Amino acid sequence: MQFRTTYKLVTDPLGSEPKTNQEIVDRAGDHLLLTEIFRGFGVTLAHFFKEPATINYPFEKGPLSPRFRGEHALRRYPSGEERCIACKLCEAICPAQAITIEAEPRADGSRRTTRYDIDMTKCIYCGFCQEACPVDAIVEGPNFEFSTETHEELMYNKEKLLNNGDKWEAEIAASLQADHLYR
Amino acid sequence: MIQVILFLVVVVCVLVGVAFFTLFERKLLGYIQLRKGPNKVGLGGVLQPFSDAIKLFSKEHVSPSTSNYSAFLIAPCFSLGLSLLMWLSIPSFFNLLSFNKSVLFFLCGLGVGVYGLLAAGWSSNSKYSLIGCLRGVAQTVSYEVSLVLILFTPLVVTVGYELGSFSSFQENLWFIFIFPAAGLIWFISCLAETNRTPFDFAEGESELVSGYNTEYSSGGFALIMLAEYTSILFMSFLFSVIFLGGDCSFFVLVSFGVMAFIFVWVRGTLPRFRYDKLMYLAWKFFLPFSISYLVLMAGLLSMLFLGFKEC
Amino acid sequence: MFQLMIFTPLILTISSVVLVLSLALSKKSKMNREKSSPFECGFDANSNQRLPFSLRFFLVTIIFLIFDVEIVILFPAIQSIFTSQEFYWNFIFISFLIILLGGLFHEWKQGSLNWAI
Repeated sequence: MQFRTTYKLVTDPLGSEPKTNQEIVDRAGDHLLLTEIFRGFGVTLAHFFKEPATINYPFEKGPLSPRFRGEHALRRYPSGEERCIACKLCEAICPAQAITIEAEPRADGSRRTTRYDIDMTKCIYCGFCQEACPVDAIVEGPNFEFSTETHEELMYNKEKLLNNGDKWEAEIAASLQADHLYR
Repeated sequence: MIQVILFLVVVVCVLVGVAFFTLFERKLLGYIQLRKGPNKVGLGGVLQPFSDAIKLFSKEHVSPSTSNYSAFLIAPCFSLGLSLLMWLSIPSFFNLLSFNKSVLFFLCGLGVGVYGLLAAGWSSNSKYSLIGCLRGVAQTVSYEVSLVLILFTPLVVTVGYELGSFSSFQENLWFIFIFPAAGLIWFISCLAETNRTPFDFAEGESELVSGYNTEYSSGGFALIMLAEYTSILFMSFLFSVIFLGGDCSFFVLVSFGVMAFIFVWVRGTLPRFRYDKLMYLAWKFFLPFSISYLVLMAGLLSMLFLGFKEC
Repeated sequence: MFQLMIFTPLILTISSVVLVLSLALSKKSKMNREKSSPFECGFDANSNQRLPFSLRFFLVTIIFLIFDVEIVILFPAIQSIFTSQEFYWNFIFISFLIILLGGLFHEWKQGSLNWAI
């Protein structure tokens, strides 16, 4: 066992020593009357009378950036046709490999997904899928309150994602519109 | 019999007061840190202490397998019982509970209170608990000396060991104006004695998890917290009795509240001290100061006595 | 004194009843080896937890013991103001305190109040 027998002062102890008589008296007065401690008390008392910075969360919410990356959603065209063309770029770019896509040509010959799953417990909300998507189908919406009680509920499938898209379309469209100059 | 009932009333009132003091502290610290503190349970959070109590008492009780189980259980009971027992020594409005050796009684209570801390820390058989309890014991013990020696100064003036007699000596002028330095040092020693914030090395949550009560959960933890806050309230009451008038009127409650406020205010303002500086403060500053102060006061007092005798 | 003989057991009973109540009311669960091991940051504690500790803490307690005894000796002085002559009371009281102060300064000079280990 080794014990430390001394310690080093990092600051120069003589650097802040008072030089003149006036300084010595001032410093002694400061020490004796605890001026700095009482000033600290004044600061905390002033804070006590200030307005708290908190918001009453479930009832009041803070502002969200249009670039906020929350819960995923699959969007549709105004005609009701789903946007996703199953190019699998999102699946390829996803760093957490949370997205699984299976695709087949539909009866009318268009290429659509038959399966679009996101494991929300794997997702790291980086937003790469949104950036990779050529048709703005997969987006991360402004919703961040989607906690669940079980793990299984966070395995999103295509139906859930399309529902999200329908539910949040107004907000998603607004934030895409607000940010379109920079995309 | 009536005394037993009165005492039970005091105990219940103190426990309820402690419950609301925790809420008061949380609210006050919240506002000092520009947030609101608990404000959901009940109207503006007034029922928070009760929900805390229900939560604490219904939690699972875990004791480490290596702990000394009986000491582990007895320590919180002992601490709480002792802090409540110290409330016997306050001067009571109905004069049923106060007795003429109350200062000695509360000093004995303070001295024995160290054992609760020691037993709680030692019996948990965990590194953090042991270190926390060592620090707490050394600190409590060191500050006890200066606490008592500072208390001597008003005692020499009031000539007796009765807390109730302090009020008659302070009808015209409070002792805080006669001994301002003694009052300040007594307050600081009280902070150290109750392990309050600038000196809360027994807790030391940044390095010792939770200090001597690391291993406690549920009821044991609740009792330890109750004991701590009971002794804090007792100390603030004692300060208002000894230095701020102390007559049994409505005003003593106001000064009591102000002292409790200052205890929390200190917690909201000052960061933790350094342990060696704490020890230097106790042994190299407070102790010589309090002895010299006592010499000065005894000299002044006898000068007054002799002066009175001559005229 | 008689009051205290009633109140002390009474209050200790009250606090133990509270603890027993909480033990009875609290959630029960199967004992778990990890849960009932002493708190440690991510590894199993394999050494004895009652480590040898810094001797400073012990020495401080020894010094405290001396001063506490002095305080106990000082206490009767307050009551004896009534029964003694002011001059002699004062002389004895103050010389006692000055000897105490001298003892403190001696310990200071000997370095037993230093905390650096």
